[in-house]
Amino acid sequence: MKEIQKTFTPLVIFLTLVMTIGLTLQACAYEDDDDDDEGFSRFLPARMDFRPADDPQYREECGACHLAYPPGMLPARSWQRIMSGLEDHFGENAELDAQTARHITEYLSANAADRSHTGRAPNIARSLGVDAPLRFTETRYFLRKHHEIPPRLVVNNPDVESFSRCEACHTGAERGDYDEHQVRIPGVGRWDD
Amino acid sequence: MTREIKVWDPMVRIFHWSLVAAFFFAYFTEDDFLSPHVWAGYAVGGLVLFRVLWGFIGSQHARFSDFVRPPREAISYLKDELKGRAPRYIGHNPAGGANVIALLVSLAFTVITGLIVYGAGECAGPLSSWLCNTPEWLPEAGEEIHEFFANFTLFLVVLHVAGVIWSSLLHHENLVAAMWHGRKRIEEE
Amino acid sequence: MFKARALIPFFLLLGTTVAVADRRAVLEHYSATAENAPSAERGRMLWNKPGIRGRDCTQCHGNDLRQAGRHRRTRKPIDPMAPSVNPKRFTDLRKVEKWFHRNCKWTWGRECTAQEKADILQWLNTL
Repeated sequence: MKEIQKTFTPLVIFLTLVMTIGLTLQACAYEDDDDDDEGFSRFLPARMDFRPADDPQYREECGACHLAYPPGMLPARSWQRIMSGLEDHFGENAELDAQTARHITEYLSANAADRSHTGRAPNIARSLGVDAPLRFTETRYFLRKHHEIPPRLVVNNPDVESFSRCEACHTGAERGDYDEHQVRIPGVGRWDD
Repeated sequence: MTREIKVWDPMVRIFHWSLVAAFFFAYFTEDDFLSPHVWAGYAVGGLVLFRVLWGFIGSQHARFSDFVRPPREAISYLKDELKGRAPRYIGHNPAGGANVIALLVSLAFTVITGLIVYGAGECAGPLSSWLCNTPEWLPEAGEEIHEFFANFTLFLVVLHVAGVIWSSLLHHENLVAAMWHGRKRIEEE
Repeated sequence: MFKARALIPFFLLLGTTVAVADRRAVLEHYSATAENAPSAERGRMLWNKPGIRGRDCTQCHGNDLRQAGRHRRTRKPIDPMAPSVNPKRFTDLRKVEKWFHRNCKWTWGRECTAQEKADILQWLNTL
């Protein structure tokens, strides 16, 4: 028994230490992997916070001036409000011919937050209750996710100017990936909280 | 010829290895891909609930009454283990038993805090109707605590593995295999 | 031996010719119902005329139409207006009509007349 004790006690203690230190070091190694591309997540399918807009007419017409916002960002009733007020679309005229408008309204409603099961869309719908906001950036969900960001980094930043310009900082927006670890604020760098 | 007896029933064994898979899957997916992480978390929660129930109505060595001992006994057993003169237990020894309880508690807190973060921060999951739209400090604090318990559980796992290896060497048996097929040798009289 | 690469200038010429033909057809669509023949000078003055609420065309299209513009609020880049730089410009009637409809209403608070559209296009086609 004593022989086993002499040989194996230090060995087991050593192995335990190695495992603990090894796991800690592994965690530290990815500490400055700010965009999360070096860890285990490499091997997972790319995350999809929102299914990106994939209707060609929607992308062409509505993506002409701004990001083709994923339909999952707002509930159907919000999209319907927006599509019925295109003559004054947040201060611009965005009118469409009737056929195109109808098609786009149908697409947006069918893929809206309250009709979607992918990514964050159902969570947003749930948090809205019966509200029908016109801007995703005014929803409680959005505000809570962005509440730590000082306005000077966005609104007073000439390379961003507005929280509505998701793609300015969310480098994965076109793919539907809004991972905070992929955020790069122009003129500032990675967002680290 | 060594005779063997059945020690760990199938439910305990399935529980054990399912928990290993679910915990590590959850640990490595984190919030990079929220859905699989959450489902793994639900699995961990269900498994822990099962084990607690089984600890009262399960087979002999699965029951808490078989291996849960006062802390003083666990500590003195640990000392004996390190000196190489601890007696062999067929079921969990007192130190191992303490580790099991600690793991169950830590896992439970990990799952509960996870549900809080999910409900308050994402407005999703079974707690969402109560926690949705709470002030931001709740999911943020919850996330820190959730991470702490996840890492503390991992630490307990490291101790668990160390203890299993040590006891295996000390008593000349393969305890990992025993948790797989459920049998241990009987000491010849 | 005959090299396929030699055909490239031919296709470029063909494409440009087709584009020019389309551009002419679009202009004719408006000039057909206009009172007077299209005038580039009138078109230039219309383009630079200030609109309602301090709006004007340069706010999005910029001062040099051979350069890309920027949407004044969303900052989205807008392809250059000048056909000499961007040959696809003003060849698609549906697109031209859509943007005239929106931007005349936005800038001047009303639709442009066929005459105004013809004049503006006549001028833009010289750039």
